[in-house]
Amino acid sequence: MNKSILLLKTLLLSTSQRNIYKYSNDKKKKKRILGSLIGAALLYTMLMAYSVFMCIGYGMAGLIDAAPQMCALIISALAFAFTLFKTNGYLFNFREYDMLMSLPFEARTVAACKFLYMYIKSMPWYISISVAMMIGYGVFARQGVWAYVLWLILSLFLPVIPMLAASFLGFLIARISAGFRQTKIVQTVLTFIFILFCFSLRFIIEYIVRNDAVESVLQKTSEFTGKAATAYPPVAWFTNAVTKTGLTGALCLTGISVLLFAVLFRIVGHSYRNINSALRSNAAARSIRLGKGKKRSVVQAIAYKEFKRMTGSTVYMTNVAIGEIMAVIFGILTLVVGFDRIVALVTQNAPVDTAILQPAIPFIVYFFIGMMATTACSPSLEGKNYWILQSLPVEKKTIYQGKMLFNLYLTVPFMVFGILCLCLSAKVPVLDSVLYLILGIAACAFSTTWGCVCGVKHMRLDWENEVEVIKQGSAVVLYMLPNMFVVMGLTVLVVFLGMYMDHKLLALLFILPVSLLAVLSYRRVLSLAKKE
Amino acid sequence: MLEIRHYSKAYGDGKKVVDDISLEVMSGDIYGFIGHNGAGKSTTIRAVVGVLDFDEGEIFIDGHSVKEEPMECKKITAYIPDNPDLYENLTGFQYLNFVADVFSIDAAERDARIRKYADLFEITDALGSVISSYSHGMKQKVAIISALIHEPKLLVLDEPFVGLDPKATFTLKEIMHEMCRQGTAIFFSTHVLDVAEKLCNKVAIIRHGKIIASGLMEELTEGHSLEETFLEADHE
Repeated sequence: MNKSILLLKTLLLSTSQRNIYKYSNDKKKKKRILGSLIGAALLYTMLMAYSVFMCIGYGMAGLIDAAPQMCALIISALAFAFTLFKTNGYLFNFREYDMLMSLPFEARTVAACKFLYMYIKSMPWYISISVAMMIGYGVFARQGVWAYVLWLILSLFLPVIPMLAASFLGFLIARISAGFRQTKIVQTVLTFIFILFCFSLRFIIEYIVRNDAVESVLQKTSEFTGKAATAYPPVAWFTNAVTKTGLTGALCLTGISVLLFAVLFRIVGHSYRNINSALRSNAAARSIRLGKGKKRSVVQAIAYKEFKRMTGSTVYMTNVAIGEIMAVIFGILTLVVGFDRIVALVTQNAPVDTAILQPAIPFIVYFFIGMMATTACSPSLEGKNYWILQSLPVEKKTIYQGKMLFNLYLTVPFMVFGILCLCLSAKVPVLDSVLYLILGIAACAFSTTWGCVCGVKHMRLDWENEVEVIKQGSAVVLYMLPNMFVVMGLTVLVVFLGMYMDHKLLALLFILPVSLLAVLSYRRVLSLAKKE
Repeated sequence: MLEIRHYSKAYGDGKKVVDDISLEVMSGDIYGFIGHNGAGKSTTIRAVVGVLDFDEGEIFIDGHSVKEEPMECKKITAYIPDNPDLYENLTGFQYLNFVADVFSIDAAERDARIRKYADLFEITDALGSVISSYSHGMKQKVAIISALIHEPKLLVLDEPFVGLDPKATFTLKEIMHEMCRQGTAIFFSTHVLDVAEKLCNKVAIIRHGKIIASGLMEELTEGHSLEETFLEADHE
C-alpha cells in the first residue's frame, strides 16, 4: 500500500469513533459515542435544513442564480476559518510527532497526510451544506443531470484552496514564531492578528457593498456573492461549472487545487522538521532564573494553573480569548466612533432611537465575552494529567471552583471594560451603568458555571489532540448553542421591553433570573462534583 | 553502524544543550548513554532518529547521513521513546500492523513476529483492545514490539526500562543480547547504572551537553563499579 494512503488511513482510524466502539470494553465510552452521534445527526439536520431554506428564499426572490456562488462562498469561508484555528495542533506540534517522524516517512508526506486528515474530517460538514443547497437550487433551477454531478464533484474541491491558504498562514505563523525565544507567545499573537484581520475583512467588504446602495437584503447578498466571485476566482469557477456546465471552470478548480496542494507541501516539507523541533523544544532552551515562590490558596492555585495552561497553548488561547479581545476592540471602537454611529452602521441607517438599545449593552458585550467559557473545555483538557489533580488532597468541588475562578478572572475585567466603554459612548446615566455592570458580571457568572456544568458532564480525557476538546468537544457545543440562542433571545426581549419600561427596573428584572441561573448552574456543578 | 561527529544542538537563545559530541556505535555493540536529567541524552537520541533538526555536526547511520538521507536511515533504525505516544484509539494489533505496513513486512512474517514478541512480553491477549485502555508498561511493550517488528540494524532506546515489570525488563535485556549477537547495534539511554553495567559493552557519560567519559566498559570502569565511575567523572 502507498505510504501516504497507509498513514492517512491510520490517522483516520486512530480517531474513528467506530473503532473505539468496536474494540473498547468501556460501556460509558460506548454510550458517549452514541450520544455524540445523535448530537451530530441533529446538528447536520439543522445545518442542512437551514441551507435548503436559504436556497428556497433565494428561489422565491428570483435570485436562484446566486445560490451556487453563495454555496461556494460559504464552504470556502468555513473551510478557511476552521483550518486557521486547527493548523497549530493538527499540522504542527501534534502529540505523536516523535513516533511518526522516527518512521520512514518523508516530512512532506506526514504534513500532507495531516492536511488531508483535516480535510476528510471536515468534509461531511461542507458536503451537507453543499448537498442541501443543491437540493434547494434544484427545486427552482431547471438544470440537466450533469450540473448536479459537477456540483457534487466540485464540492469536494471547494474547501481545498481556502484550507491550503489557511494552512499556509499557519505555516508562516509557525515559521516566524519558531525563530523567537518565546515561540508560543509570538505564535498566539500572530494568530490573533490573522483572526482579527479576517473578522474585519468581512466588514470592509460589507462596507464596499453598502456604498453601492443596493436595496434589498437578498439582492445585496446576491451582489456581495457576485463581487466575491470576482475577487475569489474559485467561486466563479464553481458557479460557471454548475450553471453553464462549463468544463473550463471545473478543470481550473480541480487542477489548481491539486497543483497548489503539491506546491504547498513541497515548501512545508522543507521546513517541517525545523519548525516542529523549535516548537517542541523551547522549554529546554531558556536559561531560567528561579523566582520567589508565592503562596496561594488552593482555589487560587488551581486558577493560576488554569491560566498557565491557557497561555501555554496557542490553540487554547486563541479560542477562549478571542471574545475578550474583540470586546476590547469593540469597546474602544465605540468610544472612538460613537455608539450612535455603530448602531447606524449595524442597522444600515434604519431610523432607530439608540436609547432603546441601551438596556441591551450588557448582552451586546456578553455576546463577545460569553462566546466561549474556559470551564467548558478545561475539565477535559486535563487529559492524561488528570491523575495529578485526582491524587492531590483536593476535593473535586475545589478543583471546579478553581477552574470557575479562572474563567471569572478572564471574563469579568473585559466585561466591565466593554460595558463601561459602551455606557460612556451612549451617555448612559450612572445608576443605569452600575446596574448594567452588575448584569454583565451576573452573565459572566452564568457563563462560567453553565460552562462548568457542560465541561464536567461531558468531560473527555482520552483525546489525542487538544483541538478535539477545545473546538469539537460535545461540552463546548452544548455550552455554545443554548448560550448563543438565549443571548440573542434576551437581547431582542430587553430591547422590546425597554420601549415600555424604565431601564433601571428592566436591568433589575434581568439581573435576578441571570443570577438565579448562575446559582442553579453552580449548585449543579457542586452536585456533579459529589457524584463523580 | 552509528557515527555521531561533532554534534551540537542550540535552541532559540543560543544556549547549547548538546555541545560537540562525537561517538561511534559498531554493529554488535550495546552502547549505554548515561547522564543526569537534562544532560542532553534525549536531545542526542532524537537527532539520531531524525526527529530533531540540528545545524552543527553530522550523524551517520550505516554510512547514510541523517540530514541528507533521512529515509535511508529510518528504514534501518527503530526508536523507542521514553514516553511512547501511540495512537490511543487503535488496538495494539492495529498499531503493530500499521508499523509493519510502513516497513513493508509481509503478512506471514509480521504475524509470526507479532505473536513471538507479544507472547514473550505476555501481552497477546491485550492486543485486541484499544491502546487507551493500556497501562504505561503495556504501551511500552507495544512500542518495543513495534520497534522489533522490522528487525532493525540500529535500535535506539530512550530509557527503555522505565515502566516495565521485572519479567518484561528481563525479556527485553535477553532480546537486546540476542539482537547484538546477530549484529544489530543498540544505543540506549538509561539512569539505571546497574543495568547499563551488566548490559553494555560500551558506555558514554554526558554532563551539561558534553561527553566527559566514553569507551569500553572495562577500560572506563577499571575494576570499579559503573556507579563509582559515573560519580567520580561527575565530580571532576
